[in-house]
Amino acid sequence: MQNSPSHTNAPYTLLPEDPSPARPPASSRRPVKVFAATAASVVFLTSLVMLIVNQSPETPTESDHPPRSDPLTSRATTSFSRDAGRLPTGVSQGVSAKSYPSVRDRLSYNWTNAMFAWQRTAFHFQPEKNWMNDPDGPLYYMGWYHLFYQYNPDSAVWGNITWGHAVSKDLIHWLYLPLAMVPDRWFDAGGVWTGSATLLPDGRIVILYTGDTDESIQVQNLAYPANLSDPLLIEWVKYPDNPVIVPPAGINPEEFRDPTTAWMGPDGTWRILVGSKVDGSGIALIYQTSNFTAFEAQPGLLHAVNGTGMWECVDFYPVSTNSSNGLETSVVGPGVKHVLKASLDDLKKDYYAIGTYDPVSDTWTPDDPEADVGMGLQVDYGRYYASKTFFDQNTGRRILWGWINETDTDYDDLAKGWASVQTIPRVVTFDNKTGSNILEWPVEEVESLRLNSTEFDDILVEAGSAVLLDIGMATQLDISVEFEIEGSDALEALEEPEAIIECATAQNRTTLGPFGLLVLADKSLSELTPIYFHIAKSTNGSLTTLFCADETRSSKALEVFKKVYGGPVAVLDDEKFTMRLLVDHSIIESFAQGGRTVITSRIYPTEAIYGAAKLFLFNNATGVNVTASLEIWQMNSAFIRPFPLEEM
Amino acid sequence: MKALVCFLLLLLLLLATLPSPTRSFEFPAREMADLIDQTCRLTPFYDLCISSLRSDPGSGAADVRGLARIMAGSVLASASRTLDRIQELLGQAPDPETERPLAYCAELYIPVVKYTLPQAIEALGKGQLGFAVYGLSDAGKEAQACEKNFSGLSWSPVTDVNEQVRDLVDVALAIIKILQRSF
Repeated sequence: MQNSPSHTNAPYTLLPEDPSPARPPASSRRPVKVFAATAASVVFLTSLVMLIVNQSPETPTESDHPPRSDPLTSRATTSFSRDAGRLPTGVSQGVSAKSYPSVRDRLSYNWTNAMFAWQRTAFHFQPEKNWMNDPDGPLYYMGWYHLFYQYNPDSAVWGNITWGHAVSKDLIHWLYLPLAMVPDRWFDAGGVWTGSATLLPDGRIVILYTGDTDESIQVQNLAYPANLSDPLLIEWVKYPDNPVIVPPAGINPEEFRDPTTAWMGPDGTWRILVGSKVDGSGIALIYQTSNFTAFEAQPGLLHAVNGTGMWECVDFYPVSTNSSNGLETSVVGPGVKHVLKASLDDLKKDYYAIGTYDPVSDTWTPDDPEADVGMGLQVDYGRYYASKTFFDQNTGRRILWGWINETDTDYDDLAKGWASVQTIPRVVTFDNKTGSNILEWPVEEVESLRLNSTEFDDILVEAGSAVLLDIGMATQLDISVEFEIEGSDALEALEEPEAIIECATAQNRTTLGPFGLLVLADKSLSELTPIYFHIAKSTNGSLTTLFCADETRSSKALEVFKKVYGGPVAVLDDEKFTMRLLVDHSIIESFAQGGRTVITSRIYPTEAIYGAAKLFLFNNATGVNVTASLEIWQMNSAFIRPFPLEEM
Repeated sequence: MKALVCFLLLLLLLLATLPSPTRSFEFPAREMADLIDQTCRLTPFYDLCISSLRSDPGSGAADVRGLARIMAGSVLASASRTLDRIQELLGQAPDPETERPLAYCAELYIPVVKYTLPQAIEALGKGQLGFAVYGLSDAGKEAQACEKNFSGLSWSPVTDVNEQVRDLVDVALAIIKILQRSF
């Protein structure tokens, strides 16, 4: 629908107080009756022709047409033995837990092939099959963006970790390349773990990565391209005298990993950080080098924060406070602040803080010590971890990658044959309206996937109601919406104060909300995922806006881990409430107020899939109406596939 | 009903046994001098193809692979000229309405000229047809994106050069298709 005039043609429906009772699955569609014998024989004969001329089987379509046959008759099958009481994968090898097996494995939903196939994303990066985790060494070189990633070529659970490799010209259309590195040396026999790339001024590329040795010690290794004139950087060489850094005295050899991109100090030598932990404090150790083969441990730490536990995937980078340009990693000076970020092993969350870096003393101080790393802002309040940025020298942007794990079980992942997705890369800038956080926004190249759009202007959503948005398919969308509350001033006084300001389920009704969108919802709202604003009043009278994603009713599958995610978002006086959502099958990325607060969600509906998935506006407030204006684009597939490398 | 089904079945079996519509090429030695002509006939822009190829001194002795490389070189030359023109226009300090899309075009063309097309040409030399097709198609897409960005204007100051890049890309892709079909 091209810019159709604003209207909705669905009746208003009241939100159910409780989730609707589980309904029996939809009965199979009757075969379409045909009244001409000729038509029936043509259908029969066409399928015969397809057999005769031997067409290759169709890959699962990305266009989401509902399956003609009853989806419940073709069941997914798997054979593997479950043993109760296993550790989450990864923990026994000394990295953070990569999955959440539960005793509820036995209660795994009876997934069908159609349901599993639907979960594959259309335009997010994921390998064709098997397990992926942390993004590694992102860089731009000779016209190509490179993404490496933790990858298990053998299974859909963590293990046998290699570096997968993919390239793209636009950060969206990815092409798979052969594995860049496999665990074939003693210094990475336990796994080629996470690492970062540094582009040197003379054009060389160096990669530092953590190797898990054959004795389970975490060391830092050097690798570099075999051939710098190969723009695809297919072959990589591991420095023969690896490791270049071993765990120092006083550091647990299983808590020493994930080297950062290097930055140049005032003395012309390079510095990197490696995350670790001492007495329960997360720390960032500094190493100095001039040649990337000999490193010297610095006596001090860049920073440490009590009680935050092991810091994985440390990231450290400058942001400009007076422009929206990205900065190369070595930049310091006026108008520059530095972001320090850590993935907290204990909480499985990515935290960051903005502060000031002193290149002479090699220390970093947060602007707000009460919101230090691990205590304040999260990079993403959803299912999100191991994020890493790089400076894109092609377009002058600082770009952020983040790993999105599954929230279903190991058992489900093995059955469907894959696990994990990367976010759409995000541009990171300093928010100089608030001065206290970063903004993250999907790279504009994602807009090249936009197909047709539908606009809705000033839709009234009354208190306690939902409005179905008639947009056709609702599984691959780019949604921009802004909300205005009608008549909120007088009602502020009526708002009940809340002792704890945090996201609760969307059924928790207050005077001023929650209001937002219901995504991947079926018509009867038996499955739904509310993404919304909740305005909370604290006991001292001030109002805080929370941005939340409620997964508790997203799926009827019992074994899926479902909770409410979210965090606070600043809404300034002259701003409306705005959201942007990227909906792509089992992943939703939600951005509030231009990217001040972001939530990534994994959703596995059993009913709200294919044509049954709908999009609603909702307003669960008791005391106010809300008006919403939206622009919604259907999104094309990115057709992520192997690189056409064939030779004659 | 039964007879109808049988008839349609037989018809279909008959159709299925017909040879599939592929073309095979043979260039008899005595017609080698017309290779350029025969090749260009299989491209969507015959005249453009002829003039581009014949203007290269090496084209007379080239085989189809050589012609593909020459054509890819023409695409690069055209894209470079486009980029020069864009930068020239930017240097004339145009009004903001034109400057923004021009700057955007420059950003699109720079990696095309610097990396994408040289890599496609090199790939052709190595026989990596898939890589070459990807790069040439990308160049065409960037030219199109550049043009599209002048929304609201029925023409842009670079319409003619953008169009030439795209046409040359289409010709180059058609020539590569010949190579792909002959293996």
